Amino acid sequence: MQIIENSKVKEKLYIEKLENGLTIMIIPKKGIQKKYIIWGTNYGSNDSTFIVPGENQITEVPKGVAHFLEHKMFEQENGRNSLDVLTSLGVSANAYTTNNHTAYLYECTDNFYEALDEFMDYVQHPYFTDENVEKEKGIIGQEIMMYDDYPEWKVYLNALECMYHKNPVKLDITGTIETISKIDKDILYKCYNTFYNPSNMAMVISGDFEPEKLLGEIKKRLIDKKANGEIKRIFEEEPKEIVKEKAEQNMEVSKPLYTIGVKDVPPEEKEKVKKHIALEILLNILIGASSELYKKLYDIGNSYSVPSIEYEFDKNYAHILINGQSNNPEELFEMLKKQINKFIQEGINEEEAERTKKMIYGEYIKEYNDVIDISRMFLSDYFKGINSFDYLEEIEAINVEYLNQVLKDVFNEKKMILSVIKN
Amino acid sequence: MEYNEIDIKNGIRLHSINTQKFKTNLISVILTTKLDKENVTKNALIPVILRRGTANLKTQEEINKKLEEMYGASLDCGLDKTADNQVLKFYIESVNDEFLPHNDENMLKQSLENIFEVVFNPYLENNYFKKEYVEQEKENLKQIIEGKIDNKARYALDRCIEEMYKDQPYGLYKYGYVEDLKNIDEKNLYEYYCELIKKCKIDIFVSGILDDKIEDLVKNNENINKLNERNPEYIMPDIKPKKSDQENVVQESMEVNQGKLIIGLDLSLDNEDLRYDAMIYNSILGGSANSKLFQNVREKASLAYTASSTYYRFKNNILINCGIEIENYEKTLEIIKQQLEDMKRGNFTDEEVENAKQGIIAAIKSIDDEQDTEITYFFGQELSNNKLDIDAYMERVNKVNKQNVIDIANKISINTIYFLKN
Repeated sequence: MQIIENSKVKEKLYIEKLENGLTIMIIPKKGIQKKYIIWGTNYGSNDSTFIVPGENQITEVPKGVAHFLEHKMFEQENGRNSLDVLTSLGVSANAYTTNNHTAYLYECTDNFYEALDEFMDYVQHPYFTDENVEKEKGIIGQEIMMYDDYPEWKVYLNALECMYHKNPVKLDITGTIETISKIDKDILYKCYNTFYNPSNMAMVISGDFEPEKLLGEIKKRLIDKKANGEIKRIFEEEPKEIVKEKAEQNMEVSKPLYTIGVKDVPPEEKEKVKKHIALEILLNILIGASSELYKKLYDIGNSYSVPSIEYEFDKNYAHILINGQSNNPEELFEMLKKQINKFIQEGINEEEAERTKKMIYGEYIKEYNDVIDISRMFLSDYFKGINSFDYLEEIEAINVEYLNQVLKDVFNEKKMILSVIKN
Repeated sequence: MEYNEIDIKNGIRLHSINTQKFKTNLISVILTTKLDKENVTKNALIPVILRRGTANLKTQEEINKKLEEMYGASLDCGLDKTADNQVLKFYIESVNDEFLPHNDENMLKQSLENIFEVVFNPYLENNYFKKEYVEQEKENLKQIIEGKIDNKARYALDRCIEEMYKDQPYGLYKYGYVEDLKNIDEKNLYEYYCELIKKCKIDIFVSGILDDKIEDLVKNNENINKLNERNPEYIMPDIKPKKSDQENVVQESMEVNQGKLIIGLDLSLDNEDLRYDAMIYNSILGGSANSKLFQNVREKASLAYTASSTYYRFKNNILINCGIEIENYEKTLEIIKQQLEDMKRGNFTDEEVENAKQGIIAAIKSIDDEQDTEITYFFGQELSNNKLDIDAYMERVNKVNKQNVIDIANKISINTIYFLKN
């Protein structure tokens, strides 16, 4: 295996791409009881229009298939449910679906290899019937309704709808009650066979392991499957402009929730990590806990908690999200725009940039405390074409000139939107 | 891992956890005082006022800048209800020197100084809290209290507990009450704070790469030095038989798409040791994906996405929690009651008992893989004065058998059925 060592956080990554295309990453943690494994496919809610390798015609499936598949993978032909089997072994198993990947995982202290038998077996052996597919519609229906009662989720989705004309990132990961009603077992098999090929998957493990031995154990449990060709994913061209500046919805909340979005273009391949770090620094300087703007908002009673800030990106979308609760989101939106203009004109203060860099460096280091955080981070970065260690390496080189450049490029008033949920 | 306890002064205890597992040092200062209606709102205000400014760092911007300078150390405060106590928690987490570009930062010492400064040396104006801070934080707290309706599932759970403990301390809302805010000002709040600091139980937890200097570092800190000895006023969790004769049924309406059904159960236990049996009972009933509730309400009847139960060991209650279609209320309730009945009759296997034990033991084993979990574990033991190391704890769980679980099932009664609908 190839070994990549990071001297800052003092951790090693063992990585290998197998012949069938599967990438395996191991981050050993000596002395930790907890073991964590996560196996993901680069297939999420966004991938509903694609060309199956070897075919010519386009396949289009209902929204929500990736998530539906995730639910259905646990059911086995012998009538057992793998989630039950894993739970019986004293391991804690789960799965989740995002816009660009689906992941299966478990956490344990003992019985790692017994659990690995079941885990690798069920992910490689789907079993769908008309009956078990129908039954799941009731459960997922309740999951969709549960999210309907989460104002945090609604305010986020409405923000994406303001930004995107075509890109499916704006849609609910679960699909809707209507789209999932159209899902049947043939659709599930087709998507499974297309996307659950080893060449489209990656596995990350962290815990007290001997990497070569673990790799051998994993290889033993892989069924014989050849790497398939490239899956062509089809996305309609997304205009650079936003759809609309504002969205508002009424729900029973004590105080308005807002999401401010800034639509961006997907970062250049070489610049992904650098730009991500720069935006984290900029957003903290703009509206973070020690910012001038946050102090003002606090003093006038507009906001009493620091907004959360995030830069989400993939190959075909990128945006900034600023979330929080405010007594007057409109006022906050206008104040933020003014502050951005002020920073663009005056430039970023060097001392502030250095202090914020220190803070962000510390936050990156903290990610390495827990085997779960480590594994999830390496997996999701991998599907974006990033080695997580790069964040620790690239932060040092970020200077005020670069920050000012990114600030000017990204924070364009015409690309900003405001989504609000209020009573 | 090496755990040590030492009394700095009577009523003030230092718990040091020397561990090489983490990139960070985590320090927690925990103030414990008894829950009562008179002070609950004041207690909720104290942490947020203290977070606003100290004698040396007068504003939250100054505190925050200092934390950013310390490689993003994070300083958080929180409130808990544990048994009949209100618990005020302060945390500071900072990167260990070993992982910093310059390893002469002495981050542990800086972190200790900062958190003690925040908790014990607040910013004062004219000998009281700063008026502006108190007024702003009252408004902020008012909004937090009013915000309890925002998370409907959490709200339903809190309401069920409130119904189960009407007019009792544990029924109080941990953030307090809006009507109490108007009588609080910078003077009486500061006077209350001084009383609290004089009398409450104080626990200091330090977890990280430590050496034998830690005790002196804490002892010699001037903010710790000035604290008085005390016989702390707090409530030890007790165990007493309780049985509700009648199910209290409560229904409320709000704008929800999904109904939230919460069922509060009483466990009539007369012996501390039965808590381990109760943990296994809860795990089989609704603590995992193998549980009766998950299997029967979710997997078989397809009625819910969430179907689970949680054991509140300090109060000996189990709360069952389901999100369902509103029209399925009766049907779901019937299935849940059937599960309770099946547990009483022993309609579960030895294998289910073993599985439940394995799951709980795995969780116990990994307690020291997470700094905050480990602190919470030791604090729980501290409060109940029941010191059991991790091995003894696992051994006790391992002893539970099927008959023990059936015995627990027969000590359980429904106290309250709460349903939030539209």
